[in-house]
Amino acid sequence: MNANVPDSKKISPFLVFFLIHTMQTGVGILGFQRFIAKTAGYDAWMSIILSGLVVHILLWMMFKMLKIANGDMTSIHTLILGKKIGKILSSLFILYFSLYTVTILRSYIEVIQVWMFPELKTFWFALAFLILVIYIVFGGFRTVAGIAFFSIVLPFYIAVLFIITIQYSDFTNLLPIFDHSVKEILLGSRDMTFTVLGFETLLFFYPFIQNPEKSKKWAHLGALYTTMICIYLAILAFGFFSEAQLQKNLWPTLTMWKIIKLPFVERFEYIGIANWGIVILPNLCICLWCASRLAKRIFSIRQKTSIPVIATLCLIATSLLSTRDQINIVTDFTAKVGFYFNTIYIPLLFAGTLIAKKVRNRETHS
Amino acid sequence: MRRTLKLIASVFLASILNGCVQKEVLDDITLIEGIGFDYIDSKNILGTIVIPVYLPKQAPKNITFSAKAEIKKSMLQDIQRQTADPLVTGSLAVVLFSKTLTEKVGILPLVDPFQRDPGVGSGLYLAVVDGETKELLGGNYGIRGNATYISNLMNHNIKNEDLPQTNLQWFLADFYQEGKTPFIPQIKQIGKDKLKITGISLLKYGKMVDFIEAEDMFFFKLLVDKYSEGLHRVKIESGEAAVRSIRSSHNFELTKRNPMEITIHIKVDGIINEFTGQELTPKNIQELKQQFSKDIQKESLKLVQRFIGKQIDPIGIGHYVKTQTRNFDFNNWRENQYKDIVVKIKPDVKISESGVIE
Repeated sequence: MNANVPDSKKISPFLVFFLIHTMQTGVGILGFQRFIAKTAGYDAWMSIILSGLVVHILLWMMFKMLKIANGDMTSIHTLILGKKIGKILSSLFILYFSLYTVTILRSYIEVIQVWMFPELKTFWFALAFLILVIYIVFGGFRTVAGIAFFSIVLPFYIAVLFIITIQYSDFTNLLPIFDHSVKEILLGSRDMTFTVLGFETLLFFYPFIQNPEKSKKWAHLGALYTTMICIYLAILAFGFFSEAQLQKNLWPTLTMWKIIKLPFVERFEYIGIANWGIVILPNLCICLWCASRLAKRIFSIRQKTSIPVIATLCLIATSLLSTRDQINIVTDFTAKVGFYFNTIYIPLLFAGTLIAKKVRNRETHS
Repeated sequence: MRRTLKLIASVFLASILNGCVQKEVLDDITLIEGIGFDYIDSKNILGTIVIPVYLPKQAPKNITFSAKAEIKKSMLQDIQRQTADPLVTGSLAVVLFSKTLTEKVGILPLVDPFQRDPGVGSGLYLAVVDGETKELLGGNYGIRGNATYISNLMNHNIKNEDLPQTNLQWFLADFYQEGKTPFIPQIKQIGKDKLKITGISLLKYGKMVDFIEAEDMFFFKLLVDKYSEGLHRVKIESGEAAVRSIRSSHNFELTKRNPMEITIHIKVDGIINEFTGQELTPKNIQELKQQFSKDIQKESLKLVQRFIGKQIDPIGIGHYVKTQTRNFDFNNWRENQYKDIVVKIKPDVKISESGVIE
């Protein structure tokens, strides 16, 4: 039960920017415009800003908690609830991250199956991908952070290419502003939160940051960058699609690529979807790493043993999901769990930590 | 460690061998570039596809296949039985509908598969054909294959002439947009190796309800496209001039709410390409300018009034009013407000150059 990490295994504070941002952008960003526009219509860009603010508040809470507990999630649990209950609650997160891995991997494979290769076998692709993930996670947390860095720098050109769609867009679609009630916009921001989840991994890799005080700035910048990218993609999609048309498209971001035609490639989606493999790679790595790290902290299992076991379980679960309905059920479930964990559990935990600190202080003083 | 590596390598190899997807080598597939649909009777349609066959040192040969079917996919299935290589829709560039089909059945059920198929790009052109599509696709146009010819024809007319922006994406966006009527161009075969854009078909719920003649396309484009180019002939007493609009933009303004009144500001920046009169004096230019404004005002207003009379809205006035009104009620708009709307056109013409001759 020791959260101490040798300095040689720690990462520089600025890498937190990439870790936070990469975890927030995954498969969700390919289709979030539709969900948020369902309730908030084309006022949904305000929902994105709102949910962005919520993320910043939650991040602030997390840093506060982590500083008080001086460790990771398990230390916080132990601080508030004691060793036994803390361990039980912490072990639930192994399940959470395994579920997260399955959701990301299966959704990505679904995208490939629908857009590129309908006959692609889920099992074999998942196996190949997970072997790569295991290989990276074996390299330790520093390697994972490195992959996170590349996953943002390498596919950055895709974000720029979206500008091509502007000539086919009508941005008056966004008018009139405030055509929806506050309630609808708030509901939209709830749906938006599903997309920007993932920053909670901070609770688990915090001890690996060199000089955590400095990393605060980078974590917030990472979250801000995610919000900006989401607003950018949402506004482009709102201009590109009319409202009823957007609701017809499962992956609006991908559908927008259908209009891009380059001299050397007829359809841009093929490049885009292939590139998305790099985008989701660190997500899987971080999830798997978090799960195995928790196993180590709680049950003292070596990460070398736990990683292949968890990956195998994920592989089996991933291949069991075969239809879109099943995938949707699992995705919705993960999103809900993540949502409640982030917006209800973390504030509760935050309050708990503050109380625990007060009680401790009193004890030491008296 | 060596053993683990070997194990990983062998598993990886196995996954590569088994996880393979079907190969599609470009030489072994048939790329459909154009599809045409003709009307047979209320239930059946005749589908025709055109594929280019590339020959060494020659223009590609156009080969067409036709099949009768109830829906598009079963038509392709029938054509699959006729072709040597599997058909692939990836490089589809044009989809044509015969005029009879658009008038009687509508094109919506036929557009759906193109929207659903991830392999089809949304930049493809839809067009109505005056006549039979089978006949039109059977011709030989240009040196790069029929479909490429048609798509290039549209492309350059959109960029430089008076065809408004159109493709599958625009069509779908307009179709799903409340308060807007979609439109697609109409083409006609005028010889064995010649085609012509004859006008624009306006489609309400997928059925053709109105047609814009080629002469009115210039004004139509001014009304529907945010920025447009095109050529218009202006007649004044001392002669006739061809004015090319090099830059133009339009802006809507909701001037009154009850009853609704909309002002459309059309700004045109033109140059004179040709003048048949004796001499192009500043006075003449002034006159041309005024006459041009008058033409725009008169013809555009005529078009707008015609659309209101037919209860269609390709300009998107309904959509515009919606963007200016919170809690907009489209039912009320369609039933009452659109009928009584007053539209004013305010042209602002500038003639900046008159060529290299004084």
